[in-house]
Order: sequence, then C-alpha cells, then structure tokens
Amino acid sequence: MAAAQGGYLERPKPSGLADVIEVILDKGLVIDAYVRISLIGIELITIDARIVIASVDTYLRFAEAVNRLDISEDGGAGLPELMEGMTEGGAKSKTKGALEGVKEKLPGGGGDDDSSSRRKRTTSSRSRTRRSADDE
Amino acid sequence: MMSEVHVHGVATEDARAAIEGAGARAVAHGGLVAIVTDAAAETRAAALMRRHWDVLEAVAATATVVPVQFGTAMAGDETVATEFLAPRREQLVAQLAALDGKVQLSVKGAYDEPRLLRAVVEGSPAVARLRERVRGLSEAAGRNERIRLGELVASEVDRLREHDAGRLHAQLDPLAVAASREPAGGLQTAVNSAFLVERARTAEFAEAVDAAAEELGDRVELRLLGPLPPYSFVADEEHAWA
Repeated sequence: MAAAQGGYLERPKPSGLADVIEVILDKGLVIDAYVRISLIGIELITIDARIVIASVDTYLRFAEAVNRLDISEDGGAGLPELMEGMTEGGAKSKTKGALEGVKEKLPGGGGDDDSSSRRKRTTSSRSRTRRSADDE
Repeated sequence: MMSEVHVHGVATEDARAAIEGAGARAVAHGGLVAIVTDAAAETRAAALMRRHWDVLEAVAATATVVPVQFGTAMAGDETVATEFLAPRREQLVAQLAALDGKVQLSVKGAYDEPRLLRAVVEGSPAVARLRERVRGLSEAAGRNERIRLGELVASEVDRLREHDAGRLHAQLDPLAVAASREPAGGLQTAVNSAFLVERARTAEFAEAVDAAAEELGDRVELRLLGPLPPYSFVADEEHAWA
C-alpha cells in the first residue's frame, strides 16, 4: 500500500473513450445557437453514453445476480461493517484498485471502439515521467 | 471564403505557442484567442471527441483554458472573432482569471458487483427475505417478484451510493476550490465527481483520494483522472447573457 502512495500524478492520464465521453460531454461554454453550427453524429454518441439504467431488464438482471450469490461462503463483510467504512485487515490494498485503470489508453487516432482497450491493466509503467503540466 | 471551424476553447494571447504546438490554430481578438481546428473530412464522433480532448489537454498543460462545449462549430475565423470572442470578451476574461492556476481532478468509483450485492443482501433484511422467496419460485411464476427484488436491490444500491459519495465529498471538498457531482453513468457507478483544485495542491488531493479509497473498502474501485482542463467548472452563462 505504502509503495503505491502518491503515485497518481506520475501516471499517464487515462484517456479511454468512455472517460473522454463522460468528462467532456455537455461540459464547457455554450456558444449561442444562432452563431454556431452543430456537428453531425454527436447526438448518436450522446444516446449511447446514456443508456437508460432503470428498466425491467436491469431489475431482472440484478435479481438474477443476487440469486446467484453464494452468501454463506467466504464470510465477506456485511453491510454494517462496510457502511462504517472499516478497512478489512486482510483485504488487498484499496489503493491498488484506485491506481489501476489509470492506465487506460485508446488506440492511437481515436478509434471508435474502446471495449477492449478500456479493460484495466496492471500498473507497469511507473517509469513514465511526470508530465510537465503537473510540475509547476 | 470562410471555412468551417471547430471551436475547442478560449485562452489568452500568450497561449498561442501552446495552441499551435497542439496542432490547432489561434483566432485572436482583444487579447483573447479562440482555440480552433479546421473542420476536415473527419466526422466520426469518437475521433472528433478525441481531438477536442487532446487539443485542450495540450494547451491546458501550460496555459489556462476555458473549454467550449464539445461539438461546437462556427462558420469561420471571422465569425469566431466577431460573434463569439468580441461580444463575450468581458465574461471570458473573468472566467480565465477565475480559473487561473487551477485544474480539474475527476474522481470516479466503480462498484465491484459481487461485493456490492453481497453487502446489499447482508445489510437489508427485506432484500434477503425476498431473495429467499424468489429462489423457491420458477422463472415464470416468480417474474414479478424478481422484478421487485431487482428494484429493491437497485434502491439499496442508490442509498449506498449516496452514502459513499457523501463520505468522499466530505473528505475531498475541503481541498478543492469547487466540487461538482456528475450524474452516475450506471448502476455500478459509485462516484463520479469533478473537483477544481489549485494546481499546487494536486499531490495533496491525490493523497486524500488514496485515503478515501482505503476507507471506502474494496467494494469500490476508485480512480483519479487528471489534471484535466476545467470542463465541469465553466458556468453556462448562456441564459444570463441571453
């Protein structure tokens, strides 16, 4: 855990398409409609990015997942403990989870599909130098 | 003959070198520059988004930027200068001044679904009871109960999300100039928040995120994105100016 401390900003920035969409969509200064031209194709990706999550299918999937759970096994922490935010002694570092995924990369040139590239990767390129932006 | 341009953001004149270094052009007016690229044959939304992101990220590395909403195109340089920079100069100057020296850091957290659901079943007697009942029913007979179970689980997840996000903000807000809770992208989203942070405090903020990750436990995988241009901290003043 200690080894991973403070490592965030030395890593390459995440740039998976999912992050890009989530961070920039509908953000930023709006230029008055009468002087701007809209780009074609944006609406489509907007819809893709905002899948309606509360649906019967979703509920059924949830129910299915809950039913599959083997509660007796593994004796995982119950909600009360988790709600207290207790850290479980034997658990592997939470920070590891936090630090993974910052490696996400989109194949160069902005491909359309990041389904494979946005999979988490293990942290391996800590040698990447700190970006100049982070310095001053 | 004017040719269409995509408008990515606004900076001050001294960002010109960074803008050109990022493969974009600077359209100047009254000490301000709009960051534009020529609308080319590229129309794929994903590629356009990537370009918007890359250009702003590169410029923001050394200069203060006010991002313009992705997907903004204008008729040409002249229009950008006279219809955008000129009429909104005062507002843009004020925004640039307010954002000077600050960066956006985004914190995203995803639930580990098995751990999350286990916590829900073990923490909610109602869910546990309904689950037991549904398990004894056939697929067809139990359909309504299944839907109710799923609904109940979803609402418990919402409750947990509120709890987790609340804790996180309580820890991180004091280190930020401003904070913004973004809409959750899906049921598995635990946290999706943006923070405007003094550049000099980014390391301190990152340490706080580490500590928060530790506290949230291993059902949440927390990620820190940034430093980013301040996408979430540009007030949409369209209405105020209309």
